[in-house]
Amino acid sequence: MTSTKSGVTVESLGAKKAPRLSIIGFFMALPPLLLVVFFVGLPVLIAFTFSLGFTTGPNRVLSIIGQEIHKKDHWWGTFAAYKDVYHDPRFAGDMRTTIAITVISTTLVLLMALGIGIYQRMIGGRLASVMTALTLVPLFVPVVIAAWAIHTFYAGDGFMRTFFSQFGINFPTITSTVSAIAIGTIWTSLPFAILMVTSGLQSIPDALIETAQDAGAGFFRIIRTVLIPLAITPIVIAGTFTGIGILGSFTIPLFLGPNQPTMLGVEISNFFGAYNRPQQSIVMAFIVFASASGIALIYIWANVRSAKQSGRI
Amino acid sequence: MAKQEKSRAKSSSPIVKFFLVLFMLAMAFFILGPLLWLAIHAFVTNWTYPNIYPDGWTWHWWTQVFADSALEHSIRNSLIISPIVVLLSMIICLPAAYAAGRMQYAGRKTFLIGMFAANSFPKIGLFASIATLYYALNLMGTIVGVIIIQLLGTIIYMTWIPAAAFASVPRNLEEAARDAGASKFRVFRTITLRLAMPGILVAIVMSFLASFDEAQGTYLVGAPSIYTMPTEMYALVENYPIQVAAVFSLLLALPSVLLIGLARKHIVGGQLAEGFQIK
Amino acid sequence: MVNSPQEDGLVLNGLTKILGGRVIIDNLHLVVKKGEMVSLLGPSGCGKTTTLRMIAGFLIPDKGNIVLDGKDVTTIGPEKRPSAMVFQNYALWPHMTVFNNVAYPLKVRKLTKPDIEKRVHDALALVNLMHHKDSRPGQISGGEQQRVALARALVQEPDILLLDEPLSNLDAKLRVKVREDIRDLQRRLGITTVIVTHDQDEALSISDRIAVMNNGKIEQFSTPQELYDRPETEYVANFIGSLNHIQGGYENGQITPGTDVVGIRPEDVHFSKEELPGSYPATVELVVPRGHFCEVYLKRADIELRAFISSDVPRAGSTGFVKINKALIYKDGKLVKVA
Repeated sequence: MTSTKSGVTVESLGAKKAPRLSIIGFFMALPPLLLVVFFVGLPVLIAFTFSLGFTTGPNRVLSIIGQEIHKKDHWWGTFAAYKDVYHDPRFAGDMRTTIAITVISTTLVLLMALGIGIYQRMIGGRLASVMTALTLVPLFVPVVIAAWAIHTFYAGDGFMRTFFSQFGINFPTITSTVSAIAIGTIWTSLPFAILMVTSGLQSIPDALIETAQDAGAGFFRIIRTVLIPLAITPIVIAGTFTGIGILGSFTIPLFLGPNQPTMLGVEISNFFGAYNRPQQSIVMAFIVFASASGIALIYIWANVRSAKQSGRI
Repeated sequence: MAKQEKSRAKSSSPIVKFFLVLFMLAMAFFILGPLLWLAIHAFVTNWTYPNIYPDGWTWHWWTQVFADSALEHSIRNSLIISPIVVLLSMIICLPAAYAAGRMQYAGRKTFLIGMFAANSFPKIGLFASIATLYYALNLMGTIVGVIIIQLLGTIIYMTWIPAAAFASVPRNLEEAARDAGASKFRVFRTITLRLAMPGILVAIVMSFLASFDEAQGTYLVGAPSIYTMPTEMYALVENYPIQVAAVFSLLLALPSVLLIGLARKHIVGGQLAEGFQIK
Repeated sequence: MVNSPQEDGLVLNGLTKILGGRVIIDNLHLVVKKGEMVSLLGPSGCGKTTTLRMIAGFLIPDKGNIVLDGKDVTTIGPEKRPSAMVFQNYALWPHMTVFNNVAYPLKVRKLTKPDIEKRVHDALALVNLMHHKDSRPGQISGGEQQRVALARALVQEPDILLLDEPLSNLDAKLRVKVREDIRDLQRRLGITTVIVTHDQDEALSISDRIAVMNNGKIEQFSTPQELYDRPETEYVANFIGSLNHIQGGYENGQITPGTDVVGIRPEDVHFSKEELPGSYPATVELVVPRGHFCEVYLKRADIELRAFISSDVPRAGSTGFVKINKALIYKDGKLVKVA
């Protein structure tokens, strides 16, 4: 009844206001953009020039304090600091550790999230809800505490060893090994991945699953051909966020890992502080960033793909 | 149809159920074990390996923590800084989130991806890089410096989650309110904001936790003059017995636990997950 | 497919279903003949979808059994049951093309590739959708999606086809066309079909027989014509077509005082300027145009009648004579007499 009248009004309003609104919108979006540009973009850019051997201007102080600073020898700078890092045996070990931890932990986290998510979607019940709630606990525990708690739990005098020694079993000390880093990263990454995957699976309409059942598909076929393909976007998002988070982690490997090899996050801090080699430290940061960007591309691809599928673009 | 009437549970067989319970117990052990182990330490005099029971029980460590002025300082710092960070984050980000929520898909995508890219630079590397700028701006060792560092970690939550929440408010509900004679501002206050509130609440909780738990950057910028609770933990772990760290952990976990009650429903209800998909 | 019309396709025997402590289906009996098309008709919440889901195997009845072509299938899961269902929102998988959606049941059955290809093509040709076989569900119209869902069900060559409100998501014009298509297809294939709907027009035009449901029970199960001419209960009379309700008795074309309910279809109310045998005088209160006919409100003393009149429509305020051609008399909700 109101359609003709209000329809016209809304349309003409929209047409008239669209440009003004987008200008206002742009200004509204500006503050966080400026903050990020100034306190993330700018430092990162300056740091990049520093890594290439630009040692004047804003980089002057660091180049005076730091050791083994390379100055640029071409107009575009120098790769000397990158070569340093590349030839550093510690870096090779750290890089391998970082990649291994990232891949293994992300995979395990995703598998656990899928297991719990599918369990909740297909079977449900109280047990499933309790389990999901349980896995969210780490979301609310500060990572420092988590790291320290896991440290003491798996330490030489920790619970695991205490418990098993009652039966005469000499349980290994996991703390200060690479395995402990994996345990810690899985522990802290679990809730986010489970939230993403579970909500993705829950949003699949019952009818889509029931049709498959009606067509004769069994439990695992439904998972493979309906559940996972339909929830692939949240699954990929969960995977990329988990991967990026683990790649740059610092507190967990600091508290739980061995001195050598450790993850690059710790090494960046070591090179910057303890070893006083800021240029090499920054080079490592860019290497981690480059890896993270690679993962981020997968994330963007997943989002665009889902947008295309639902016809949003 | 009733949602409980799920696609016929195939797993009602006792063996499957047994394994599920077993798996859940393993998960509970994996997740809660370390936390409980640490929590118990807050109340024990000493625990000699490999005894199954601690040597004795005591409140001693709690009095020690509250008597220590450095520890008290850090608690106060945390409780002052984090609310300021969240408030600033809201002021800076929420209008942007609203605009983003109302933008065309392409514009929103660019904005959110930009925020995301900023977030995916490894934090520790960023903090190392930011030192230069901080020296230049005299922000090293200042409260403002710490606040800015913590602010950076909240932006992703405070833009993404509310943006999705605003975007999902049906336009026709707003139009209906306009049609009913409400002013633009009133519509925003009574309809848009109301419906987006769960998402904003989740963003506030996540931002608070991000700020309250931030340790690396705060340590780099604040130490040695400003310590918050998490950065104090770094020092504690090195210089005090494990029991003091345990007490401190319990205190540090307190706000988080309180916040669970506040927003658990919405976080589990999908607001968080919703926020991380660009729509 | 030639089936003896006497053979039973689907037998529901004393079905009872309790959900959340509430009796949704209450001792329901229904026999659908082979090749017959039957509608479950009723308002939302009457249990028609629950019944359909029990036939499909998504719900297991608490009591009673389901026999399909002579075989008891009560506890057989939907994946093993020779039924195929078309869901209300079609439930097409958005990540698969039209072809793959239709091919899915055949892939599950591990048919050979050429076999699958041929049967999918046949099914798509049947619903006239060959040109869309590589499209995604999101790229085709609602009516086309509906036909894909139908093809996906038919490709399974089920013993029974189940349709859950198949037309409710289509616009009015399309609905008429698609329901004719479905009817036509069902007749050609001779497939036993149960269709759930709340739309009486749809049920009347598409079904061989209609089961009108109320509160988990079947009120009446008969042909559309019978339902219309002889609604066994007041509920059915109300649900199918329009009805004037008058409390009282009925004798020789006249309303008399009484305690029964007299139901008169508006199309059985005749109005003319001249007095006819058995007619009585009345005033025209209101005339509402309804397209190809007019709804006329006639009043005499305390009795008000609606009549559908298509020619010589009187003006409001004019007077004339009413003659009642047919009345249904109900006692305690049950039909006792047709006069």
